[in-house]
Amino acid sequence: MGEITASAAAARPKRDKRAVTALKARFVRHNWTLVALLFVGLLIFPALPFVEGWMVYQGSLVIVYIMAAQGVGILTGYTGLVTVGHGGFLAIGAYTAALLMKFTGLSLIPGMIAGGVMAALFGMLLGLVFLRLAGAFMAIGTLGFAFFIGSIVNNVPIFEGRTGISLPANTVFGLEIDDFGFYYVALVTLALITLFIHSLMRSGVGRAFKALRDSDKPAESSGVNRVFYRTLAFSISAFITGVAGAFNGLIVNYVSAEVYADIWYSVDLLVAAVVGGSAMLFGPFLGGFFVAMVPFFLDELADFAFILKGVVLIAVLVLAPAGIAGVVARPFRARRRRLLDETRGPAQTVEAEGVQS
Amino acid sequence: MSHLRCESVTVRFGGVVACNNINLEIPEGKIVGLIGPNGAGKTTLFNVLNRFQEYDSGHIYYREQIVDNKKPHEMVALGMARTFQNVNLFSEQSTLDNILIGAHLQLGNPFANMFSLPGARRNEAVLVDKAVAIADMLHLSEELDNPVKNLSYGYRKRVELARALAAEPEMILLDEPVAGCNEDTTRELEDIVRHINRKLGVTIIVVEHDMSMVMNVCDLIYVINFGANLADGTPAEVRANPDVIAAYLGEETQ
Repeated sequence: MGEITASAAAARPKRDKRAVTALKARFVRHNWTLVALLFVGLLIFPALPFVEGWMVYQGSLVIVYIMAAQGVGILTGYTGLVTVGHGGFLAIGAYTAALLMKFTGLSLIPGMIAGGVMAALFGMLLGLVFLRLAGAFMAIGTLGFAFFIGSIVNNVPIFEGRTGISLPANTVFGLEIDDFGFYYVALVTLALITLFIHSLMRSGVGRAFKALRDSDKPAESSGVNRVFYRTLAFSISAFITGVAGAFNGLIVNYVSAEVYADIWYSVDLLVAAVVGGSAMLFGPFLGGFFVAMVPFFLDELADFAFILKGVVLIAVLVLAPAGIAGVVARPFRARRRRLLDETRGPAQTVEAEGVQS
Repeated sequence: MSHLRCESVTVRFGGVVACNNINLEIPEGKIVGLIGPNGAGKTTLFNVLNRFQEYDSGHIYYREQIVDNKKPHEMVALGMARTFQNVNLFSEQSTLDNILIGAHLQLGNPFANMFSLPGARRNEAVLVDKAVAIADMLHLSEELDNPVKNLSYGYRKRVELARALAAEPEMILLDEPVAGCNEDTTRELEDIVRHINRKLGVTIIVVEHDMSMVMNVCDLIYVINFGANLADGTPAEVRANPDVIAAYLGEETQ
């Protein structure tokens, strides 16, 4: 291959490949450390001395929001499809689990899997229907989906509208569980989903999602089947949010159209994904925590929660489009970039190449 | 046997006929140039060939197989890769990730892939090795971890070429590979194009306005004007063709 002459390329000094590899490994570990720390925190939280039962319940809610935001993040962050309709998938997950529990006696874990699967089926359909939508049109389309689901659960008798469906206490493997038990089931599920997303986004499939997000044409002309991967992203996203929905219903042993026909749920989930930073592994953790805790922190002013969320959303969109996680990661990334550049040593000549476009 | 054949392909945009009964015959293993004035329909024809663009009539044959109803990603599976006129990369992603996307069809089962099963991991390692080898060939190995938005124009052109090569294609469509490049970069890219053709046995179709590049590398040239075939032949024949001179090349000033 020596016959290719590369005058410009030769201007940059070679660097030590081992140093580069070691450096990269170190930063991958950094990322993991952060997520692992979060999990350790969540793991020991219920055992802390000052924590009372209701806090554990609140903790489960935070986990549910994180999970739902992870689902949104698959679409909005990694695949670039803004969804304002994930409240619909949350509802599908919740009602699937609730109805199965009511009519067949299915318990928490199979119920949550069924909720996820049902949501994934709807996600697949929606992905196919919205195949040609992008940007604002996708947002409006998914919003329409949330309205549609809301109206169904409000009006179709089996869902019992605003009266709601009351459910028996949760059991796992035949044993009744309390708030603590529920918290840990949710936490384990969250850990599994986080591992899965990590694996997904480092795989060729995740690469295809990101390629479709960044630019359709070169992705397709590299062999990425747009129909397949978009539908797959929709299904995975819906599955995760559906699982969160099942938890969300079973945690209070009650599902009602009062909650799930509310369009603001969908907006909440989008806020959680965007504020946290949906294209990063720990973004939904920050966003989910924020959205779940806002009404709690505001206490008596809880009615103003939407104002605060709105203000924070606007601030994040303007100041940090990659979300709070992006801000947290910025110094790490800058440092990584700098160290990587240092492995190259100073450039000897200014590149005399091409026209900057 | 021709590698790719266009049979009276016509594309209309409303009242405008972008391609009018275009005929092409691309022989196996050659470098074929596609030239013509601005607006002659060259890029439209490229989009037709890799199936981004529908056409109103005519047929396209890839290795004598009709591909009229194929999708762009299916053309890649047949062995066709392409680059874009205005460099179309995933600019936030690293050079390595950009090249790896080109190897998308070698991923294997996507479901084994997304769970990072052992087989998928081994496969990924192989793909990374291949991508690194391609980057070496195009002198991009120092930039593998660099987001392509940080690269200069000439480097980005090479990343795009590397992405096309990662698909292990049998045919590459190059849309203005040296547009905006200076003399040195142009000569370097010529070498690379020739290398890909001779050493890797890839058939190449190139749209280019830089006549020196076209005349230097092409075995065969098709000239298109107002969406229709004007002439074809070897570089020497085309250069001497009075119609081509009148429509495009202009008189030599000596």
